[in-house]
Amino acid sequence: MMTAAGKWKAVTLALVVVVVLLLPQVVKSSFAIDIFIRILLFSFIGVAWNLMGGYAKQLSLGHAAYFGLGAYTSTIMQIDFGISPWIGMIAGGIVAMLASLPIGWLCFRLRGPYFTIATIATAQALMLIFLKFRDLAWGAEGTTIPNLGSSPLMMQFETKASYYYVVLGLLALGLFITHRIEQSWMGYYLVAIGEDEDAAEAIGVNAPRIKRDIYMLSAFLTALAGTFYVQYIYFIDPATAFSFNISIEAALVSIVGGIGTLWGPVIGTVLLETTSALLQSWLGSTTGGIQLTVYALILMAVILWRPTGLMGLVTDAYQRHRHRKPARA
Amino acid sequence: MLETIVQAVINGLLIGGIYALVSIGVTLIFGVVKIVNFAQGEFVMIGMYISFYLATQFGIDPILSLFVSMPVLFVIGVLVQHFLIRRVLGPNDMPQIFLTFALSLLLLNLSLMLFTANYRTVHTSYSDEALHLGGLYIPVAKLIAFVVAMALSGALWVFLHTTDLGKAMRAAAQNRDVATLMGINPNRVFAVAFGAALALAGAAGSLLMPFYSAYPFVGQVFVLMAFVAVVLGTLGNVIGALVASLMMGVAESLGIQFVGADSGLIVVFAMLLLTLAFKPNGLGGGRVR
Repeated sequence: MMTAAGKWKAVTLALVVVVVLLLPQVVKSSFAIDIFIRILLFSFIGVAWNLMGGYAKQLSLGHAAYFGLGAYTSTIMQIDFGISPWIGMIAGGIVAMLASLPIGWLCFRLRGPYFTIATIATAQALMLIFLKFRDLAWGAEGTTIPNLGSSPLMMQFETKASYYYVVLGLLALGLFITHRIEQSWMGYYLVAIGEDEDAAEAIGVNAPRIKRDIYMLSAFLTALAGTFYVQYIYFIDPATAFSFNISIEAALVSIVGGIGTLWGPVIGTVLLETTSALLQSWLGSTTGGIQLTVYALILMAVILWRPTGLMGLVTDAYQRHRHRKPARA
Repeated sequence: MLETIVQAVINGLLIGGIYALVSIGVTLIFGVVKIVNFAQGEFVMIGMYISFYLATQFGIDPILSLFVSMPVLFVIGVLVQHFLIRRVLGPNDMPQIFLTFALSLLLLNLSLMLFTANYRTVHTSYSDEALHLGGLYIPVAKLIAFVVAMALSGALWVFLHTTDLGKAMRAAAQNRDVATLMGINPNRVFAVAFGAALALAGAAGSLLMPFYSAYPFVGQVFVLMAFVAVVLGTLGNVIGALVASLMMGVAESLGIQFVGADSGLIVVFAMLLLTLAFKPNGLGGGRVR
């Protein structure tokens, strides 16, 4: 038996799925589809970040490290060995997972703000390595990814709509994994660690292991996004792949949308990316800094007035709505 | 060879003095208010632009403009503490980290819009002067910056150890609740700590101006260095931050001399990672957080 609220949720979800699936069939403007792809991509990155940053409150600002590792692994495999980015994507995810072990070992020694600083430093250090060691991967100037025309097996498509469906699939995967974790013991452990790590350990939660595992999963998913992104823009260099903005946006969309909630990162991305697109069409892309200025103001407003994010706003409104109704006998 | 090493050490110590002003600010805020100010570097940047405009518009020497940049930034610090930081103090890390982070993002991008990304420099009469001691070469502008930086650090230490307000700040740093019970007003103490830390950042900006370019991202260089120095020097410890900053300056300078011009940052990250791996509580020991 479904409750009334459950039914409404299911209907809303079904509607959203239908709209999202049909969107590229209806909207043909490539500018609009480009924005949709950005929204889906950053939602996915946010979802990956949120697993660790949202539920376990391990506030990383270094997820660009895994985005970049994913991007470089698949690109190196494709250009140097002719291996399909589909395989490279998984390989990139595994590389990112393995890299998260030593990085986590170092960074988890610190807590709170100093954990955050350590993650920034590791991501920056990785970028420097790719900048400096030219033999490893094209150094600072990067490389373009050869355009093979329509070649779905090499993750290259003629229409933007195809890319849209690929990244939609990634987001669906991320949301599915998050949903499963939310309902498992792992989810409770994560929230317990996020609330109070010492208390969680005292009641028998193996915090170091849980944090390690969720970091590996989060890194894996972020790396998939990296591969997709460079395949989409046909270009890679350290400044793009390890961009600090990736790390910022991953955290920002989750916090603005609702940290530690399933749909928070998606809602946050829709708000931020739409704002950014509107700003760009009004002011043109000439005014450097305006986008991040607005992001910073939104972030400050959310933290000062609504720390639970937009999801909190929705939940509160729903609760008020329910309480206004007389209780049923 | 020996001379090259000594020269590199001197260069490192001189710039390390500036790093010290930034790290002491970070560690002071961390010690007293218990938050990490991600925006500290942006206040160095503001200090630099204040000195730049005073020098180009009114012909005021950048080092003397310290008497403007320090009070201005002190006031900004008190306001930031009163209107922003005060509202997020508590056991929860997330709002604290992301509030100062958002502030950093805001100041950086506002200055990008206001001042553009161009590099601004001020040329003073002593910008190209240098002392020659034997084979050693000591640029006057950097020497002045170092001496003033050390004097300001010393003044802060004296303030913290001899004045009532300074003692109250140290008491609040040790145990906020007990200090409050003893009649110390924590909000006043926090406001002064934040103001003093930002005044030091402003001083760093003014002292840098005769030999360093101002641009919106300039603070990032210094704040990263400061974070490493603050971990290395044990969180919340002023003397530790000072010593660690000088060490970082020397390490960076030796790296530039012997590894390559662009290896400064790599040395910094290597030091941070080594510190985390082997001395996560800092060289002085003590507790993390």
